[in-house]
Amino acid sequence: MTPEKQPTRRSRSQRRIFVAPLNDFPPGTRMEVQVGRVLIAVFNVGGDFFALFGRCPHQSAPLSRGRLQGTVICNADTCWETQWAHEGEVLVCPGHGMEYDIRSGKAFGYDLKLRTYDVVVENGQVFLLT
Amino acid sequence: MASDEHSVTVRKVEPSSNPVQDEDLDQYGEELSGLTIVDVDVHVDDTLMFMLDYMEGHFRKRMETVLQADFKGEPGNSLRNLIAHIAWLGSSYDKPPRAKLATKEDLVSRMEKGIIDYSILFPSELLPVGYLPEPEWAAALATAYNQYMVDAYQNLDGVKIAIVVAPQHPVRAAEEIDRHAAHPDVVSVCVPDVGVNPPIGDEKYWPIFTAAARHDLPISFHGIEALIHDNYPLRVAHFHTLMQVNSMGFPFTSMLQIMSVVCAGIPIRFPNLKFAILEAGLTWMPFIMYRLDAAYLRYRTEMPALEKKPSDYIRDWYIGTHELEALPRRGDLAKLIDLYQGHNTTMWASDWPHLERDLIAGFMRYDMDETLRRKILGENALRFFGLKPRK
Ligand code: FES
Repeated sequence: MTPEKQPTRRSRSQRRIFVAPLNDFPPGTRMEVQVGRVLIAVFNVGGDFFALFGRCPHQSAPLSRGRLQGTVICNADTCWETQWAHEGEVLVCPGHGMEYDIRSGKAFGYDLKLRTYDVVVENGQVFLLT
Repeated sequence: MASDEHSVTVRKVEPSSNPVQDEDLDQYGEELSGLTIVDVDVHVDDTLMFMLDYMEGHFRKRMETVLQADFKGEPGNSLRNLIAHIAWLGSSYDKPPRAKLATKEDLVSRMEKGIIDYSILFPSELLPVGYLPEPEWAAALATAYNQYMVDAYQNLDGVKIAIVVAPQHPVRAAEEIDRHAAHPDVVSVCVPDVGVNPPIGDEKYWPIFTAAARHDLPISFHGIEALIHDNYPLRVAHFHTLMQVNSMGFPFTSMLQIMSVVCAGIPIRFPNLKFAILEAGLTWMPFIMYRLDAAYLRYRTEMPALEKKPSDYIRDWYIGTHELEALPRRGDLAKLIDLYQGHNTTMWASDWPHLERDLIAGFMRYDMDETLRRKILGENALRFFGLKPRK
């Protein structure tokens, strides 16, 4: 695998986008934010916020509508045994089921990572940084 | 779609309990409007319970018995579910959520968007009919299915039907074709090609081709995972996972049937009969065409009826895009089509609303000239199924 390149797209100043009052965005809910042509999916998972590019690279299904569940993993850490893992943190594309790590945007089983965005909570309000 | 770079909209959404289906069409609505769009592979809820009223005597009794069966809490009204229960149930951990079967209302509302000109309905439940061991039972199911589909789906705006035949009973298959061919909404004969043994070019099946040619109805081969069929070709006997059976099963079956039909000289005996392959993807087309050409050089004398090399026949076959492979570059699909010379034969197919259906974005992401795009989205299908343009 090639070492991960850090894209240099953050050169422009970040934009703060108001998403919702914290009270309207409780754990277990999600929002779809459209910024110009770009769709972003924002999740509150147990009080932690995650935001990812909102369209699946496969056939563009809206990722904000995917379910969060676990998945099976099998790697050196599991001694190559298949285990159920990441319960509640795997975003399943509602198109054909590609799975993404909600934290990193990395697709399970693909050399592919969705762009992620920072989310900040200030004075009881949720903002997306793009 | 908001296009102003600075505009922001936020909306609360819920996880989808059904795979997303139609929003893709809305998204491309503007780009597609004015174009003829034919979706050549569409499925509706045709589970066995709908066929009960179309069966008589011991077949009806048998169907009642089937419908009473209970597989892990699901009614035994689905041949496909029944098969999946035996083999790989749960292997995908229900991701994505199971596709709901489409009702007639679902189909009508999809058509009412006014984007798709024609939907061609193909069987779901009866796709495994080709490997049922009893020809009489298989033929009875096909007869019930066809009458049900014609009764339930005729005279719907833009909806056309492919009747199904049980290849293991060629005489009854020909009768089915004779019965329905004149119906204005019946546009093709679907031959479920999986499990059909000997391969479909065998003389045994010629009554099917004779009947289809007599009525000028094109033949469409439609595959299925063939979940329990163990050995035809490269199935359960060879692979332990559904992914392997699925990804090899469809194209291998298609290649095998194409080879069988061409090498049996059917294109020469039935020169006006048109053929299509559905649900097998596209990337294998150049392989089978030019691989056969290479062998033909040495073995032509085994099939002296052929007047051209195999690829010259195969390039006349129509082919549905589903399940469209995700090729690495945007120009790759046009290159692939160049390679198998499929400009006038490739037809857009979604497989809506099945789990593996293609969203139209999967096709629209590829670059190609507008003439080719128009042909694939509708014009080729109008010609194959003999339909009138609606736009
Ligand atoms: S659109 Fe996401 S998996 Fe197909």
